[in-house]
Amino acid sequence: MDIVISGLLLGGAYALVAMGLNLQYGVARIMNLANGEVLVLGGLAAFWAFVSFGLSPLLTLFLIAPLAFAGSWAIYALFLRPLVKRAKSRGQLEVDTILATFGMSFFFVGLMVSLQAEYFTYSFLAWPISLLGSTVAANRLVAALVAAAIAAALYLWLNRSRSGLAVRAVAVSPGSARLVGIDVGKVSALAFSLGGMVTALGGCLISTFVTLDASAGVLFTMKALIIVIMGGVGDIRGAIIAALILGLVETAVATIVDPGLTLVAAYAIFLAVLLFRPQGLFGRRSA
Amino acid sequence: MLEARDIAVSYGLHEALNGVSLTVDRGEIVVMLGANGAGKSTLLKALTGICEGSVSGDCFLCGQTVTGLKPDLIVEAGLALVPEGRGIFPDLSVAENLTLGAYPARARAVEKETLARVLELFPKLQDRRSQIAGTMSGGEQQMVAIGRAMMSNPDILLLDEPSLGLSPILCGELFRALHKIKETGMGVLLVEQNARQSLAIADRGYILENGRITGAGKADALANDPAVQRAYLGGAQA
Ligand SMILES: Nc1ncnc2c1ncn2[C@@H]1O[C@H](COP(=O)(O)OP(=O)(O)OP(=O)(O)O)[C@@H](O)[C@H]1O
Ligand SMILES: [Mg+2]
Repeated sequence: MDIVISGLLLGGAYALVAMGLNLQYGVARIMNLANGEVLVLGGLAAFWAFVSFGLSPLLTLFLIAPLAFAGSWAIYALFLRPLVKRAKSRGQLEVDTILATFGMSFFFVGLMVSLQAEYFTYSFLAWPISLLGSTVAANRLVAALVAAAIAAALYLWLNRSRSGLAVRAVAVSPGSARLVGIDVGKVSALAFSLGGMVTALGGCLISTFVTLDASAGVLFTMKALIIVIMGGVGDIRGAIIAALILGLVETAVATIVDPGLTLVAAYAIFLAVLLFRPQGLFGRRSA
Repeated sequence: MLEARDIAVSYGLHEALNGVSLTVDRGEIVVMLGANGAGKSTLLKALTGICEGSVSGDCFLCGQTVTGLKPDLIVEAGLALVPEGRGIFPDLSVAENLTLGAYPARARAVEKETLARVLELFPKLQDRRSQIAGTMSGGEQQMVAIGRAMMSNPDILLLDEPSLGLSPILCGELFRALHKIKETGMGVLLVEQNARQSLAIADRGYILENGRITGAGKADALANDPAVQRAYLGGAQA
């Protein structure tokens, strides 16, 4: 039971991060390998605000959101839009953006090392509370609840509003979206920026219960990739389920077998999905 | 009304259109006949700003130039395209497809009325509102595509071979629907290979051959033209 609860709480934070990558990859068609670094930047901001000003990470969220959105928009407009314009096919855009964002991830790592070379250690709501008979740290519960609230808001926006519908239309078919008067370039920039924002918010939340450091990003990029591919590209519901599964499996392996093996377990699921359900858990058909 | 002047398109060295001029008024159906590869789709793509080739010439919509505008702004100006292959959103529901049609600002104020008109024209869409569009039959998808284009409240509706792959009965229904659309005051530019049925509902027509307009006139005159009959009506009586 402990495993299930801790696993679901961890999965909640993962789900938010995977939603971010899903917006960037599924809508804007940008495979962002600097995703994990953006997450760690969110964590660094939380750490820094907490240590310097005693600001609660829950308040830092409100600072991170506009900054991460604007920063992602700038990255898209300056570095990625030229690649989007140049790409003749989706495959070419994928290769180009993978290389560009991979390079960008090193830039971010270097930047963060120069800002804070040590672990981002701080203690926020680190007291135990009991939940359905098992004991968890309060920060995990709070992080999962806030992540769930953000994810739910995003989900509702995507599924209930006209602008959310336009985002989904671009995800389904950019070629048709322009025929109904949607500015595909602008919606892609919006999706990329929202994705960056959500990722940084996830990082802020995760930093309350995982001790991050400047080079931790790549692990989270891998996890987000695993979740997105397991859930099916562009499938938000699939990503949420996949994130919860990953959280459960990682927690189970760490508790029962060995904490060092969580990544191995994640890869094992990843391989299994690639071998048996390459279209994702709920994948409809190959596009 | 739509006026295109001297449109030329080339794909690299290959010249697909040359010196094409045409007009389409509100409340009329104009058909563009042409064989495979004549450049019909290229023309519609050039008019709506989605042509991959290099385009020259001018295009005016109600006196305002739309040449070189981005496709979303052309839709906003009042030109809506139902492309070859329909171009619906296969993973979204019928209702979502129609809602997206009304995305342009020009469509929002009259969205309810337009939707009522579309559902009256294609009652089947009413029953299938929540069906995923990609799972519908070809004819139903064509209705979604046309309905979605109508939802943008265009001045001129452009259709690229809407009868392709439809049974003769559905084809007849489709052309009757187009006739009703024209009666609402919309102009329709219809690209077709089905000369007999399209000329029967059209007011005027153009003949496109190897990227040039080689004939133009009233629909009944074209239908009785011996050259047109030989090329597009299988030599039979119209
Ligand atoms: N993207 C492109 N690149 C290069 N050539 C193209 C491209 N699109 C069309 N063409 C060429 O332009 C010419 C006109 O093509 P278009 O699609 O306009 O013909 P069409 O009249 O619509 O034919 P169909 O009735 O078969 O649809 C053809 O020779 C075609 O090969
Ligand atoms: Mg064609």
